[in-house]
Amino acid sequence: MARESNLTAGEGRLGSERPPVAWVRRIGRAGLAVTRHIGRAGVLFGATMLALLHPRDHVRETFRQAKAIGIDSLPLVLLVATLSGSILAQQSGYQFTDLPLWIVGNAVAAGMLTELAPLLSAIIMAGRVGAGIGAELGTMKVTDQLDALRTLGRDPVGELIMPRVVAGAIMMIPIVILANIAGIWSGWITGMAMLDMSTHDYVYGVRNYYHSAALIFSLVKGVFFGITITFIGCYVGLQAEGGAAGVGRTARNTVVAIIVALMVLDVVLAPLYKAVG
Amino acid sequence: MIQIRGLRKNLNDKWVLDGLDLDIHEGMSLVIMGPSGTGKSVLLKHIVGLFDPDEGELLVEGMSVPKANGRQIREIRSQISYVFQNAALFDSLTAGQNIQLGLTPDECRKYDAHLDPRVIEAVEHVNLDSDVLRLLPAELSGGMQKRVAIARAIVGRQKYILYDEPTTGLDPVNANVINRLIARLQGEIGATSVIVTHDVESAFYLGDRIVLMFDGRVQAQGTPTELRESPDPIVQEFLHPKLT
Ligand SMILES: Nc1ncnc2c1ncn2[C@@H]1O[C@H](COP(=O)(O)OP(=O)(O)O)[C@@H](O)[C@H]1O
Ligand SMILES: [Mg+2]
Repeated sequence: MARESNLTAGEGRLGSERPPVAWVRRIGRAGLAVTRHIGRAGVLFGATMLALLHPRDHVRETFRQAKAIGIDSLPLVLLVATLSGSILAQQSGYQFTDLPLWIVGNAVAAGMLTELAPLLSAIIMAGRVGAGIGAELGTMKVTDQLDALRTLGRDPVGELIMPRVVAGAIMMIPIVILANIAGIWSGWITGMAMLDMSTHDYVYGVRNYYHSAALIFSLVKGVFFGITITFIGCYVGLQAEGGAAGVGRTARNTVVAIIVALMVLDVVLAPLYKAVG
Repeated sequence: MIQIRGLRKNLNDKWVLDGLDLDIHEGMSLVIMGPSGTGKSVLLKHIVGLFDPDEGELLVEGMSVPKANGRQIREIRSQISYVFQNAALFDSLTAGQNIQLGLTPDECRKYDAHLDPRVIEAVEHVNLDSDVLRLLPAELSGGMQKRVAIARAIVGRQKYILYDEPTTGLDPVNANVINRLIARLQGEIGATSVIVTHDVESAFYLGDRIVLMFDGRVQAQGTPTELRESPDPIVQEFLHPKLT
């Protein structure tokens, strides 16, 4: 409390300080806020993991959430995966003119499996599923529903957060598999139609790249992303304050926080692929 | 019995509760009055452990709420039900499922929420038709939502019921319905009620004992008659506000 009020007291002087000092102060304050959020989120994540010890009470809610997540995101995920497969096929076909055409199959499979299928699906889900969870829990927070749940002797972590996180982790597996299939399929159609490539070339290219470690990496990434999206949605939702306007802010903050976290996670996970692949 | 001693709570650099002492005896109906923003809701939230005090002690049936661990806080909450100011029904659940949440998880598993005899009894207690059980909160009027929230609070037969401004935001007719309901339930269920209100008329209608909160402290308390005859100018100003 005391530390916080010192920091806000400093705000009044910001204008009179020379820019470097003000910037350092601002960066320092942002750094503190981020650190505080990471700490609190860590505690909440621990509680979520503990709630996994009593899964029996929450099976139904987890299924309900899984269904909602799948229905919410699948159509858009498939559309975007189809388009990205087509883009990959065209770009690789046009750029690698010196190489044999089967390289198209190789490039599409590599691009979809390692990056595009998990990452683009996750970014779409940040907008649909993550923002939805943030707004839903935010509304529950500002209308006292979370407090009501506590007074009724229920644990919001077990009732609300754990089922969403588990559903997000599980649903990412079929979603990423379907996104891969859609992208690789549309790469094939595009190559046939625009690049004068044969099915045999394409299949050869895909098989040339494909190894099961790549698929496993794609799915592991998807599961990590699914946990990130749903958990951050819950965490930011719980911070909501101040009525409808607060909930609107929360939904926006959720998407930003999730996308930053996804990109950071993507960078962190890349060496893992090199290690196993 | 609920005993509160020297309770202090700082929120946003302001002492919202500032040395509050209060005893709530069993079987009584206690009304807490006071202007908006004096910390009435914050006080109720301390009783069920939704807030931790900065100083002071709060005992429910001899158990300290601030010092309670997870199991103890569940034990304390199992004896208290709370009617939130804006009903706080879960929007994704039907009225019946909302009411059933007032029972323990094991009790919930026994029946479908819409056929549970205890849920049906509770909804009849608050003068609602059992058809309402299958409706979502969004399909109910404000007064009906309040009554569903009260049904959720009485279904588990808790010893204490805390009502936070049960009539605020309702038209006078619905407000009267709720007040009469609270008075009737008090007789039928025999729970200890704590009712927060800033409506003087409701306070004198419902309270066996009335507490006037002011600036995070108990300014005055007593029976309705004692309060009416209090020489304290703050009490008189609150009971008979002058419009000049
Ligand atoms: N969660 C909270 N965080 C910060 N301040 C709060 C919180 N809840 C209430 N307050 C502040 O505490 C004071 C008393 O609020 P409250 O108990 O709701 O008043 P009332 O007597 O009208 O019920 C108000 O100034 C309010 O702004
Ligand atoms: Mg209040």
